[in-house]
Amino acid sequence: MNARRPFMDSGFRIEIDRTVCDAYGTCAELLPELITLDEWGYPIIAAGNIPEPLLNHARQAVESCPIVALRLAKVPTPQAETRPDRQTGVPPWPPRPPQQTPRKSMPRKR
Amino acid sequence: MTARLLSGPALNLGAEPYDAHRQRLGALPGKAERAGLIPAIEAAGLLGRGGAGFPVGRKWASVAGRSKGQAIVLANGAEGEPMSMKDRVLMATRPHLVLDGVELAADAVGAKKAVLYIGSEHAGARVAMEAALRERPRVVDTRIVTPPVSYAAGEESAAVRFVNKGDPRPVTVPPRPFEKGIDGKPTLVQNVESLANAALIARYGAAWFREAGRAETRGTALVTVSGVTTPGVLEVELGTTLADLAAWTGGTASVGSPVLLGGYFGSWVAGPDAWQMPLDPAALRARGLAFGCGVVGFMGDSACGVAATARIMDYMAGSSAAQCGPCVYGLRAVADATARVATFAAHPDDLRRLRGWTESLVGRGACRLPDGTVGLLRSALTVFETDWAAHTAQRRCQVRA
Ligand SMILES: Cc1cc2nc3c(=O)[nH]c(=O)nc-3n(C[C@H](O)[C@H](O)[C@H](O)COP(=O)(O)O)c2cc1C
Ligand code: SF4
Ligand code: SF4
Repeated sequence: MNARRPFMDSGFRIEIDRTVCDAYGTCAELLPELITLDEWGYPIIAAGNIPEPLLNHARQAVESCPIVALRLAKVPTPQAETRPDRQTGVPPWPPRPPQQTPRKSMPRKR
Repeated sequence: MTARLLSGPALNLGAEPYDAHRQRLGALPGKAERAGLIPAIEAAGLLGRGGAGFPVGRKWASVAGRSKGQAIVLANGAEGEPMSMKDRVLMATRPHLVLDGVELAADAVGAKKAVLYIGSEHAGARVAMEAALRERPRVVDTRIVTPPVSYAAGEESAAVRFVNKGDPRPVTVPPRPFEKGIDGKPTLVQNVESLANAALIARYGAAWFREAGRAETRGTALVTVSGVTTPGVLEVELGTTLADLAAWTGGTASVGSPVLLGGYFGSWVAGPDAWQMPLDPAALRARGLAFGCGVVGFMGDSACGVAATARIMDYMAGSSAAQCGPCVYGLRAVADATARVATFAAHPDDLRRLRGWTESLVGRGACRLPDGTVGLLRSALTVFETDWAAHTAQRRCQVRA
């Protein structure tokens, strides 16, 4: 594991192609800790990287999607980030709400 | 007002011809001096003018820093924002400044081809750019592509998809256009005003660029002002206030009345404080606002903010490129609920649900159309708080009684 990463961080995140997702919802069934469904049945994915203990479940959830809308993506460390928009110091646009309320299903912050 | 991009002949004379442009501003710097252009743009602190305000120099550097192959430049003049006119005015009156910027950008990032991406409704701009292309030596192989009228067509991944496949709908990123864009090549997508600014920095340098500006962020910006006696496009120093803009354009709204800043992707602001705050990207960011594409819409005292917001929500729901579930269903639900409130027919939990959607729809689309839409809604719920309450609880409008 990369020493620069926080403890228990798998270094992966779930990425979704929202133009493809058709609200089948199997992902949320297999990974309720990180994926909930909104009122129309579309997934809400917890922000941030997948905690190490959930990585296997996450992999299963990703593979369960019948139309391959999900993928696991390796997250570069901030030092290795090449995408300019993910480098630090660039504010999001449009601005985000003040603080996003953490959802109950989110694993606790260490 | 500080004329830089728009200095020179009066705007109503139309496009400035190539000869006049060269005489007024001089030729572009030669190869040797151009080597320092990317650092100069970074030193100038030029931020993108398409909305997101991303540092221009950093974007050029990342496209230039790719390992191999040709890049492509896409000059974004889609201007799908209904309240903005600045890009079409710039293209229609100073086409050669934009083309200078394209030429410099192509040189800096290693591109031989460029695309001018001009909204099909902006006929005047397109004609001026076509004529300008014919007037000057063809240094970069440049063609014009005209996307249909649509809010999302100006989003960078949609622009690339339209050029490649004729479909102006955003795609899920990554890969982002700067990695894999037109013809699969790294593509620098840059707003036309950003490019025009680069053409001035190349001639006069970063120190000159930084002479303008009243607050932290330096330089000038084009703004589109509406709801005043003489609406239109102005060039102002960053850090100018709403009060100044109102004074210069014959604004009749009383000081502190609501203003829509940034257009349909922006925020409502109100109050005497707001009229005095510097329109400076950094200062606005600290307040949770954004300069966006420079739209300033004065609402006036007799208009209803709830009704105005409902109209915008409806427009945005209709602008969804209908690909992503949360955008399709979410924005429709937002538009329906705001329409009910505006027409005094709110369901009991409409306000609560609207508040919830301002958070739950953020980041839920392939592009940021939902984010921008609910961002505006969020500001409307705060700025017009008592109006929403009156519309739902008492079923009446406080403004238009
Ligand atoms: C829904 C949406 C619509 C957009 N429309 C435009 C547009 O019409 N013109 C534009 O220059 N940028 C538009 N953008 C921003 C572009 O994606 C891109 O950031 C910009 O063209 C980059 O240029 P800049 O860095 O010079 O601003 C839009 C973005 C979104 C999310
Ligand atoms: S399983 Fe796939 S299609 Fe179904 S909700 Fe999850 S991501 Fe969408
Ligand atoms: S978020 Fe909306 S506008 Fe953007 S790609 Fe998805 S459906 Fe289209």
